[in-house]
Amino acid sequence: MRKIRIAVPLLVMLCGFATIAYTKTDELPAGPIRDRHELMEGIGKNAKIIGDALKAGNTTPVAGAAAKIQADAGKIAALFPPGSTHPKSRAKAEIWQEWPKFESNTKQLQVNADALAAAAKDGGDVRAAAHNLFDACKSCHDQFRMPEKKKA
Amino acid sequence: MSNRKWQIADGEPINHPGVRCPVCRLKVFIPSLTFPFLATLAVAAHAAGDAERGRVIFAVAAGCGCHTPADGPVAAGGGKVATPFGTFYGPNITPDAETGIGRWSDDEIRAAIRDGLAPGKGAEAPPMPYYYYAGMSDEDVNDLIAYLRSLPAVRRQNRPAEGELPLARLAYRAWRFLFVRHETPPATAPRAEEARGRYLVDHVSLCVDCHTPRDRLGVPERSMYLAGVAHGPAGEVVPNITPHATGIGDWDTEDIYNVLTTGMLPNFDNVQGSMADVVNGHGGGPGLKDAPQSDRRAIAAYLKTVPPIDKAVEDK
Repeated sequence: MRKIRIAVPLLVMLCGFATIAYTKTDELPAGPIRDRHELMEGIGKNAKIIGDALKAGNTTPVAGAAAKIQADAGKIAALFPPGSTHPKSRAKAEIWQEWPKFESNTKQLQVNADALAAAAKDGGDVRAAAHNLFDACKSCHDQFRMPEKKKA
Repeated sequence: MSNRKWQIADGEPINHPGVRCPVCRLKVFIPSLTFPFLATLAVAAHAAGDAERGRVIFAVAAGCGCHTPADGPVAAGGGKVATPFGTFYGPNITPDAETGIGRWSDDEIRAAIRDGLAPGKGAEAPPMPYYYYAGMSDEDVNDLIAYLRSLPAVRRQNRPAEGELPLARLAYRAWRFLFVRHETPPATAPRAEEARGRYLVDHVSLCVDCHTPRDRLGVPERSMYLAGVAHGPAGEVVPNITPHATGIGDWDTEDIYNVLTTGMLPNFDNVQGSMADVVNGHGGGPGLKDAPQSDRRAIAAYLKTVPPIDKAVEDK
């Protein structure tokens, strides 16, 4: 308990990672389930960089963060092999039931991240591109991820 | 012992007056000899409401989601609320004369919303957060009533609760008597941003209802105001939304506003489940995203001012 109460705020400070994530990585089994959780947290970290940059009116960090998201998005599908379920995983069964749609979503995330990086480099509409990136994240979450529930 | 009146819905975490039971260690409020519930039926509350403004109140109140089934129709009843004291289903609050509130007077609807008294039932079960709505202004509750009366009437029987306590109505009356105290609500709602934010959080949007843990008797723990709940509605984790590192300490008001408007979190993640319904509306009805921008900003501004509480929700 004490370690968790120290570790959580420390993690938040180190990563500047302002999300409310409750499933801890070590609660997940080693392998694709844990790896994809870490990958998603990494995407979130870079998304936070983008969000903070936009709020600060400084788009310099956006391209790099978007490029990292684009690279990570390309790894998502492989981390959802058939049967990779777990009580603490929020992955819905629909992922494998509607695999083409899920895979298409990961590709869309890559496309939108790429577009954001391009907008940041070329002076395009970075806010609109960032909004599209969020829409890609949200769309897939709403279709294929369960709400956070406390597991026994 | 002090006989000072207090509200469960007061915005400040307080050590409320009362006597602590030496056996169970729970605090029990000893009511005064007056009967202030009648004060909430004061003449000022009888003014006719505005249905269009009421729609806004309904949206700010997250569409009274407990009263709307997942696929609608709006306010037709059936929203499930599971508690340690039974599973409850929000009743039909459309103006249907047989199964809804079509035959209720405005006074009866006001009493149900703010006093926890339902016609033919007496005291309502605590999942109906009347003790928070108790602070809703006369103007807002009248507008809300006008809006409810404007909804399409839906013939849909109320689903009875399951697994209730023995002598449930008596238990709810006792709970109300012991733990709830009403001040006379304001005639109109505050307008200044932080005051309005507090009013909305505590009396309309009721962030306080889901985000504040309760004790063994279902009484909100005031000392843990907005500090989150591990097993919230529908078994979901409900975050700590106080400005502490274990909560939303490093969020700014824009981050909070974005969540209330689009469901977007600062890292481009999004809320799901019950909170998504709060933002988007239940069963096709209006939600927080449809509320005035100024109200969402007021909530955001207020949440940055509440006492920070160290509580990592996943540990509970």
